[in-house]
Amino acid sequence: MTAPDATLAELLARFRYRLNEESPGLVEVPSSPLEADLPAGGEELQLLTFGLGTAEYAVALGVVTEILRARPLTEIPRAKPPLLGVLNLRGVITPVYDPSLRLGLPSTVPVCAGPDCQRPPRPARILVVRTALGPAGLWVDRVRGVQRLRPNALERPAGGPTGGVMGVLRTAEGPCTVVDPEWLLR
Amino acid sequence: MSDGAGQTVDVCAFWVGDAIYGIDVARVDEILPRVVPLPVADAPPHVEGVVHVHGTAVPIVDLRRLLPGGPPPRTAKPKVILARIGRRRVGLRVDGMAGVRRYTEAEILPGPKGNAVLAVAGDDCRLLDLLGLLGNRPAERGPGL
Repeated sequence: MTAPDATLAELLARFRYRLNEESPGLVEVPSSPLEADLPAGGEELQLLTFGLGTAEYAVALGVVTEILRARPLTEIPRAKPPLLGVLNLRGVITPVYDPSLRLGLPSTVPVCAGPDCQRPPRPARILVVRTALGPAGLWVDRVRGVQRLRPNALERPAGGPTGGVMGVLRTAEGPCTVVDPEWLLR
Repeated sequence: MSDGAGQTVDVCAFWVGDAIYGIDVARVDEILPRVVPLPVADAPPHVEGVVHVHGTAVPIVDLRRLLPGGPPPRTAKPKVILARIGRRRVGLRVDGMAGVRRYTEAEILPGPKGNAVLAVAGDDCRLLDLLGLLGNRPAERGPGL
């Protein structure tokens, strides 16, 4: 395979990696269909779906910076209902809200701050979302996962977004309401 | 770096059988500890199959079937080296890793002619001609990998 009188420099040139080197015997393996199935770049909508009570909701994945296992919070005296308490998130004081009140649902969040604090249910999570006023937490009962879809797969309300509801997604498990996280906190 | 005796070669060294072989570190993307390839029909015997690595299918080549050698050292842990050949990637199953070594050109001697070993470096590390080793396989098996 090496020329009979190849010098060391030629041998080393052959040893070194080059992007344009040719390998005739290696047949290209088709890349996996996982990539081919995705819509073209930029077209894709990614949603994080979560559960509150018996209903399913979703927010845009891009605004969620972190998903934490629910943990006891620090109590804020005389806090108004949607605010549950605050969380010290690596030095950043992060308020945590109960999104179910804004959605007109009965609150499912147990007492999670103060002296009567209960142990949070195991599937409960805190979604840390980016807002104009800094990070904020949303206490949800469970997180289902990430849905990747084309934008036209979302059923949008006629006449633009109403309140914080940006659309409804039909999934195998039932309808899933896509909401604006900023609206949930207002 | 320019030509001259000061030029060095960085080699990713690994065990195949009882010998140490080396490839250019620039080829190496990743070392995978446990890989279970998906068998491919009609593949040549040295191709174990393919694995999905970050969404792309990568063929796994068992270097132990291509290079002669006795039993590997007892301390060696088998690995798969994810290496680049041109714009493609290939997984090389080896008997164990032997570190990254730097050789100067003075330490490297041209290897025996007519096989996949380009040169032999200082402490008996055989610099592999990966293109030649994988590219010039006999084609009797038809359109395999």
